[in-house]
Amino acid sequence: MWLLMLPALVPVLLFSVGPLLYGIGLAFTDARNVRNHETAFVGLENLVELLGAADFWSSFRIGLIWAVSVTVLQFLAALGLALLLNENLRFRGVARVLAVVPWAMPPVVIGLMWKLVYHPDAGILNSLLGTDVNWLADFSLALPAIIVVGVWTGMPQTTVVLLAGLQGIPKELYEAGEVDGAGRWRRFWNITLPQLRPVIVAITSLDFVWNINQFGLVYVLTQGGPGGQTRLPMLFAYEEAFRYRFAGYASMLGLAMAIVVLAVLGLYLWRQMREAR
Amino acid sequence: MRITSALAAAAIVALTAACGSGGGGGSSSSAPGEPVKINFLSLAWQKESVAANKQLVDEWNKANPNIQVTYVQGSWDNVNDQLVTQFAGGTAPDVIHNDSPALSGFATDGYLLDLKDKVPAELKSDIPQAAWDTVTFGDGKGGQGVYGVPFLQESQVIIANKKLLDASKVRIPTPDNPWTWDEFSEAAKKMTEGDSFGVAWPMKSPVNKTLNLALNFGGTFFQTGADGKTTVKVGPEEREVLQRIHDQLYKDKSADTDALGMGTADPLPAFFKGKFALLPAGVFLRQQVAEQAPDGFEWVTLPGPKGTTAQQGAVSQTLSIAQDSKHPDEAMKFIAFFLNGPNQAKLAKGDWLLPTSQSAAADPAMTTEENGWDVATASAKNLVVAPFLKVNGFDEWKSKVATPVLQEFYANKITIEEAAKRLVDEGNKVLERYQR
Repeated sequence: MWLLMLPALVPVLLFSVGPLLYGIGLAFTDARNVRNHETAFVGLENLVELLGAADFWSSFRIGLIWAVSVTVLQFLAALGLALLLNENLRFRGVARVLAVVPWAMPPVVIGLMWKLVYHPDAGILNSLLGTDVNWLADFSLALPAIIVVGVWTGMPQTTVVLLAGLQGIPKELYEAGEVDGAGRWRRFWNITLPQLRPVIVAITSLDFVWNINQFGLVYVLTQGGPGGQTRLPMLFAYEEAFRYRFAGYASMLGLAMAIVVLAVLGLYLWRQMREAR
Repeated sequence: MRITSALAAAAIVALTAACGSGGGGGSSSSAPGEPVKINFLSLAWQKESVAANKQLVDEWNKANPNIQVTYVQGSWDNVNDQLVTQFAGGTAPDVIHNDSPALSGFATDGYLLDLKDKVPAELKSDIPQAAWDTVTFGDGKGGQGVYGVPFLQESQVIIANKKLLDASKVRIPTPDNPWTWDEFSEAAKKMTEGDSFGVAWPMKSPVNKTLNLALNFGGTFFQTGADGKTTVKVGPEEREVLQRIHDQLYKDKSADTDALGMGTADPLPAFFKGKFALLPAGVFLRQQVAEQAPDGFEWVTLPGPKGTTAQQGAVSQTLSIAQDSKHPDEAMKFIAFFLNGPNQAKLAKGDWLLPTSQSAAADPAMTTEENGWDVATASAKNLVVAPFLKVNGFDEWKSKVATPVLQEFYANKITIEEAAKRLVDEGNKVLERYQR
C-alpha cells in the first residue's frame, strides 16, 4: 500500500510540500536576495512590519476590491451567458466554442491584447467612444479597467461549469413547475438557483482564490501602476522579493495572503454548507 | 492546497540558489584549450544601436578567437528583476549592461565586481572623473569601489518647433547662454496661443526628470547626517523646479496638461501637429523626432534651462562584470575594446546619447549642427553626479513614494506642502529599511 503511493507521493513532497515549508520558514527570517547577507531568524518581526505598513494595507484593499468585484461580475455575466447557451438557439455549438476562446489564451497574451484596446492613441476603445483617455494611466480608471479584463478572462471557465450544472438539472422539475403555474422568473428563482447552488459555491470559491492570486495579467497591463493603484497583493510580494530583494518579508506576505484566503474561503464555505443543510 | 505564487517563486529561487551554488558563473565555464566564453547582456533597443552593438561584438569575436562573446538581448523594462533572479541562481551574464542608479544596490549586495584596479589606464583616463563618480559606490563593507564603466550619458534639452519658436520672437538660447527658468516660462507664455501651448511635460515617469532638473537650483532631495543616515529633504531649493513646472501648468496655463500622463515619446504626434512648441526631453528623443517628423517639419535642439546653475544630474549607462563571473579579466578586455573612443562614438550615435569618452566626444559626428548634436554634446559639461545615485533604497522610494506623489502633484491633486511632507515622511520610512 505505502509502496504503491510512493510514485505519487515523492513529486508532491519534493515539488509542493518542500518549497511550501521552505517558504513558510523564510517568512520568519530576514532573508534577502543578496549575495553578502547572513540570514538570521527574526521571529514575527516581518509580520509586525507588514501589519504596520500602509502600502501593504492599500495593496490588500485593492486586492479585495479586485477579487470580490471580478468574482461577482464574472459570476453574473457567466450565469447570463450560460443560461443563454442552455437555450435551444441556432448556432449554439459555435457560440459555445466562441465563449470558451478566452480560456485558450495565456494571460500574457490577453494582457497585451487589452493593452492595445486601452491604448491612449491607437486603442480601439478610444476611437470607438471618441474619447482621449489614457485608461491604464488614470488614477481612478485603472482599477475598473483591469477589472473588466479580469472578468473577460475568467468568464469561460465559469460559464462552462455553470452550463454543465444547468444541464444536470432534471427537466421534470421545470415541467412540474409549469404545471403549478410558475412563471419564468419563479422557475429560475425556485428551481434553477437552488439546484445550481453546489456548483455556484464551488466555482465562485475557486474563482475567488484564482483572482486574488492573479499576477501575470495585471503585471503585463499596468505593472501595478499608476502610483500603486492596481498593485495587487501578489504584485506587491513580487516587487518586495525581486525588486527590493526582501525575500523574508515577501514570504511573510505570501503566507499572510494564504491565511487570509483560507479564512475567507472557510467562512464562506461553512456558511453555504450550513444554509444548504 | 494552493500556495500563493510569491511564496512559491521565492522558494524556487532559493532552491535554485542552493542547487546552483556549486556551479558558480553559470554558462561561462570552459575546458582548457577551448576558447573562453563570455555572455554579454545588452539592453540596446533602438535599431541603429542594436546594429552597432552586434557589429562590435562580431568585430571582437573575429579578432579574438580565444575569447568568444555571446550577445544576449535584454530589455530595460525588466532588467533588474531579471538580474536579481539570475544573480541569486548563479546564472548571471559576465558582462552586464545597466544604468548607474541600479548599480548602487547590486554593488552593496555584493553581486558586482569592483573594477577599481582592473580598468586599463587608457580607458580610465579617457573618461572624466565626473563620469567615474556615477559608478563609485560603497561596497557594503565600508569601502568604496568602482562597479561599472560608464559610457553613455543623458542630459535634458528642449526640443523646439522652429516655426513657432521664430514666430514668438524670443531670444534663442545657446549652450553658453541658456534660458533662465524665468525666460523659459516667459517664452512658453508667449508661445501659448488659442489651443496651442508653449510647452508639454510628459510626466508618466516624473522622478528622474524632476530630480535631475532640480539640481538647477541646488535641489538634492537627499541629505546624509553626521550619523551617516540618509534622509529625504524637500526644502526651498527642491521646491523651485516643482513649483515652476506647476506654475506653467496651472498659473500661466502655458503647458499642455494632456501630456502629463504620457511617457517621454508619447507627445510627439501632437508636437508635430504644432499643438505645443517646446518639449523638454532627454537628448535621445532627438532620434525619434528626426525619424518620425513629417516632411517639412523644422525642429531645433535648445539647451536645458538654467537656475542658479545650469547643472543637471547625470545618470550613465554602464557595463559591469558579475562578481561570480569565471573570466573577469577576459571580460574586462572585452569592455576595454567595446568602450574605446571610436567605438563609443558609434554607440553614442546609435543611441543618440552622449559618450563619456573624451576622444569620442571630439569626434566630428558628435559636434555637427545636424540634428542638434552640437547642443547635445555641449550640454555634457553641465552634468554632475546625481545625488540620488548613492542613496540605498532610492529605487523603492522612487516607485513607492516619489512617483505617485509627483504624479498627483503635477496633476494638481495635492499642494506642494502635502507633496513635500509625503516625500519626506513616507520616504524616510522606506530608506530606514536599508540602513539597519
